[in-house]
Amino acid sequence: MTIENSNTGLGRRELLKLSALAGVAVTGASLLGQKSVQAADEELSLKGKRIAISATGTDHFFDLQAYNAQIDEVKRLGGEPIAVDAGRNDGKLVSQLQTLIAQKPDAIVQILGTLSVIDPWLKKARDAGIPVLTVDVGSTNSINNTTSDNWGIGKDLALQLVSDIGGEGNIVVFNGFYGVTPCAIRYDQLVNVVKYFPKVKILQPELRDVIPNTVQDAFTQITAILNKYPEKGSIKAIWSAWDIPQLGATQALVAAGRTEIRTYGVDGSPEVLQLIADPKSPAGADVAQQPAEIGRTAIRNVAKLLAGQTLPRETYVPALLANKTNVAEVTKKLGIG
Amino acid sequence: MSAEAEFAPSGFSSVERSGRSAGNIAAAALRFGSLIAFAAILIVFSITAPYFLSVGNIGNVLGQSAISGVLAIGLTIVLIAGGSNVVTGGIDLSLAANMGLSAAVYASLTQLGYGDAVAIAASILTGSLIGLVNAIAVVYAGIVPLLATLAVMNIVAGLELVLTGNTVIPASTPILSALSASDPFGIPVLAYVLIDFTVLATAVVQYTPLGLRLYAIGEFPDAARAAGLPLRRLLAGAFIASGVCGGLAGILSVSYLSGSTTGSGEMLLPVVVTALLGSVFPRRLVPTITGTLLSALLVGFLSNGFQLLNISSTLVSGIQGLLILIVVSATTLLRRQEA
Repeated sequence: MTIENSNTGLGRRELLKLSALAGVAVTGASLLGQKSVQAADEELSLKGKRIAISATGTDHFFDLQAYNAQIDEVKRLGGEPIAVDAGRNDGKLVSQLQTLIAQKPDAIVQILGTLSVIDPWLKKARDAGIPVLTVDVGSTNSINNTTSDNWGIGKDLALQLVSDIGGEGNIVVFNGFYGVTPCAIRYDQLVNVVKYFPKVKILQPELRDVIPNTVQDAFTQITAILNKYPEKGSIKAIWSAWDIPQLGATQALVAAGRTEIRTYGVDGSPEVLQLIADPKSPAGADVAQQPAEIGRTAIRNVAKLLAGQTLPRETYVPALLANKTNVAEVTKKLGIG
Repeated sequence: MSAEAEFAPSGFSSVERSGRSAGNIAAAALRFGSLIAFAAILIVFSITAPYFLSVGNIGNVLGQSAISGVLAIGLTIVLIAGGSNVVTGGIDLSLAANMGLSAAVYASLTQLGYGDAVAIAASILTGSLIGLVNAIAVVYAGIVPLLATLAVMNIVAGLELVLTGNTVIPASTPILSALSASDPFGIPVLAYVLIDFTVLATAVVQYTPLGLRLYAIGEFPDAARAAGLPLRRLLAGAFIASGVCGGLAGILSVSYLSGSTTGSGEMLLPVVVTALLGSVFPRRLVPTITGTLLSALLVGFLSNGFQLLNISSTLVSGIQGLLILIVVSATTLLRRQEA
């Protein structure tokens, strides 16, 4: 993890520059846009500001990367981070938010979280005059949400899936976290795409992925469903809104010798990208988000807000779809592996 | 840190010395020692941590400790009646799962359109039924509480999974909003709930003949039996009371988390620690309701103070565990000295 962090720090910035260069090649207008954005970013400062960073947990690749990148970015901009990690415990998360509100920081950045649990407390922060920004969780009480474009992610993943299975067949879906907004959007996009492919069917009942023991549980559930559908071809693909259930599902397929089924997920966890790179593995595609860049962007948004700029409702950081053909390229871009 | 400063000298010097009187002095030192340690922790935080001493922050800690406090008080009642031997004595491992199921029942009922009155009654009923099952398993089937309540814990956690499908069920009702609100001084309503509940529980357990009987059957079961106390009924009652606490905590949890959420089982160990840690505070080093309250607040103030001091989140649980270990090992050393 530490190696990854130090790498991504540079890698991501390079990536930004690369994308800026790509912009140059396409149009002159985009060059101007990128330049002014970068110039503005260089002047940003959080000197003398206390920025609260509240993470739902840091046990997943995504939130750990975003959390650490946020802490580093606040320090880099001269501010003081107050970083708390709830360890995926909702009670602790709420207590920490409550105490953060009492600490009166200059801004609170909330990373993930179940909306119904955190929203009343984000509202209390807002009522107390503390600006609230979020990462990957849309809330009416947040001024700006930095996230991947989950509509794009959901659509890209669904189209890849449908195209891989030739537009027909049964798919198994993990839908245990529909209460988490990004997961809901990705799922809805899958349903939207499948709607226009009448021969593709989402098997009912849908499976529910769990936290913790996500991998083991997904393994067990997929093993059971493979026993229920023993014929090859009766299941074409397995979809999940993130890639940890995909990991368990992929392992179950290998264990059962049903490698004709493909698995699909989101997040770009290094272990899943590795599986996709393995031509024998049934892992089909994984949309990789750029969590560290998302974290840094959120903090730069805080600095912009405190400097008096107006923020858009949502800031999208591009996501990269990794499939069997381009996974090496994506992994390189992400600076992992 | 301050706890170390308080405890290490008294603990070690008492080990070196021997004899009844030295033990008494050491025990006396501990009696006040644990309270002094608590006070020292508060003083250190007051000086070093900004906002720590504000009314709103202290209120927040009380409110944040309400759920674990109510659960730990329930467990304390079982510890008192069952004896405080960790392996064979009284323990209720189903409490956290009980809270989870009671919360799920509350949230599900409000989703179905039922009002607060029905939901509250159903949560308390759920809690007390779980208590009743524990009571039957322990008192009438004669299973060791550790195993009986562990089994019940699994059943209850399973029922919660069936009811919620392991998802978050949001709930918003007038009473829930009132419970999660704060008064004009910025003190959360849950803080008052914890204090009121503690006063009530203390009154019953520490100041009534019933409470005294609970201590009697826990500490001296043979003497209690000889004195004609209804051992079985009292012990069963303690488990049911604990179950009711689980139901109550469920209601508080629904208000605090704006619904029923997954992962209630994670509350178990902190609650067990809180209840066991509680015995270092009272004069006779036995489980008491006020001791448990103090211990719940100690745990609450530690998390709060560390956050206010902006100590890296990766260090907090380690430091917290170390402080608790110091307090508990000092007690154990002195207890051995006394015996």
